[in-house]
Amino acid sequence: MEKQFDSEPAVEVSREELTAVMTALEPDQLISTKEHHHCPRRNLTRAEMILFWALRIYLVFMVGVVVYQIWTGVR
Amino acid sequence: MKETKTVSEPQAGTIPRSNLRNDQRTSDAAVVITHEDIDRAHDRERVSATRARRGFRPRLRLFWLLIGPGILVMLGENDGPSMLSYAATGARFGIGFFVPFIVLTFAMACVVQEMTVRLGAATHRGHAELIFDRFGPFWGWFSMVDLMVGNFLTLVTEFIAIRAGLGFFGVQPAVAVIGALLVLSVALMTHRYWTWERIILAAAIFNLVFVPVALLTHPHWGAVGRALVTWRPLPGGLTQETVLLLLADIGATVTPWMLFFQQSAIADKGLTTHDIRFGRVDTVLGAALATAAALATMLATTPLFTHHMSAANFEAAEFAQALQPFIGHWGAALFALGIFEAGMVAAITISTSSAYAFGEVARRPHSLNLPFRQGRSFYLVLLVEAIAAAGLVLIPGIPLVYIVLLVNVIAVLAMPPALLFLYMLVNDREIMGKLVSPLWANVLALGVVILLIGAGLLFGISVIAPNALAFVGGR
Repeated sequence: MEKQFDSEPAVEVSREELTAVMTALEPDQLISTKEHHHCPRRNLTRAEMILFWALRIYLVFMVGVVVYQIWTGVR
Repeated sequence: MKETKTVSEPQAGTIPRSNLRNDQRTSDAAVVITHEDIDRAHDRERVSATRARRGFRPRLRLFWLLIGPGILVMLGENDGPSMLSYAATGARFGIGFFVPFIVLTFAMACVVQEMTVRLGAATHRGHAELIFDRFGPFWGWFSMVDLMVGNFLTLVTEFIAIRAGLGFFGVQPAVAVIGALLVLSVALMTHRYWTWERIILAAAIFNLVFVPVALLTHPHWGAVGRALVTWRPLPGGLTQETVLLLLADIGATVTPWMLFFQQSAIADKGLTTHDIRFGRVDTVLGAALATAAALATMLATTPLFTHHMSAANFEAAEFAQALQPFIGHWGAALFALGIFEAGMVAAITISTSSAYAFGEVARRPHSLNLPFRQGRSFYLVLLVEAIAAAGLVLIPGIPLVYIVLLVNVIAVLAMPPALLFLYMLVNDREIMGKLVSPLWANVLALGVVILLIGAGLLFGISVIAPNALAFVGGR
């Protein structure tokens, strides 16, 4: 089961505070709503998956280049 | 009169309709009111009341109430390594190609950060949370680990800047670093997003201290104007050093932590779709102020270029010492203070972005409105990361110069994968509805990605095959 946020309820809520929360905040701004309703997961297409991995490989390769540059710099 | 802490959901229609299209709440769900909700509601009440009034003054007040995340993220990114990059650029290349280039990098930052404004206001969720929810835990944790590693390295450089800036005034490294940690902790003690934001904003504006320093050097404004139009000169042409500074200057304006911070701050501040216009103004204003500070830093160190002084071995506030003959003791002191401020504000904003991302992915409470007891994990991540980075700076013999060099370059390299997530989220009709990116925004975003990847590849070529760089540069 997916872990939820565990925000604690306010100890006491005055009528004014309750009114403020209900009128000033949009429903999905409430923490309890965020805790219980997550954006549904979307399926990645093959092209998107390839792009994700290609950029990941690019990052790993380029970090290797940075490490190489530092190594040569130190030498 | 006090009510119970759990209340039934009010009748439909008594509260504004949700922006999030997938917000399918059941009618019998209970609404639990938290401390965070109450604080945010009070902030929003002030915004609503001000918006209802007409006239110039209420508009000005509305602007005051809604600005913050954009200015903070832009001035926060004018951090220790960024100011060092600008200073090194001015000292090495003088007034020329890099003047318009720095303006371009901030324009790029505006394009990218505007997307986070829309995303945060439309979904009320942080960037890490959306990646986690929409693309699954694998990519969610992956992007968070990327962020954490990058942020930790950057934080180390912020403490290097703090140490160096205060070192100019003879403050011992341990005293400087511990003092900075205390300032960071005191800012958190407000337990209120609004108060925290105003304190950090006041500190961030001090980034403009580089402007009077630049004026003290009496810049050649004609040359600045010519450089802005012609993008010239570029002394030495396209060399390995040019590419490194090019990348460092891009990394000084466009980095992954900015995406995570601004979106989470917008959600924490409680901005809605009605506030997007002000969010954009906030971002552009922040970029304008940051550009002014960045260009001023570059202009301030041009006397070193003019007098053929090598800047190769300068670190942070050593620039201040080198500049002292040209701008006097007070000018140099201001420069060193600016370096300290850049490190201090960035240390706060960057560690906050890590704490937001951790809370969003680990499903822990994450808000600056939380009391310490309720937001324990949020505050602990923030403080532990800052303490670890500060501790590293105090270890004797650590190659700090290389860490500084590394940070901005890694930021640029890590940006394309981070931008892909942002691009996909901001074009996701299911969460954005009508607020998906228009064509022009997508074209600009794609331009930024191509430029970043191109700069990264150019850097790769400059390291692996320096001779090929001469061919690329036409020399």
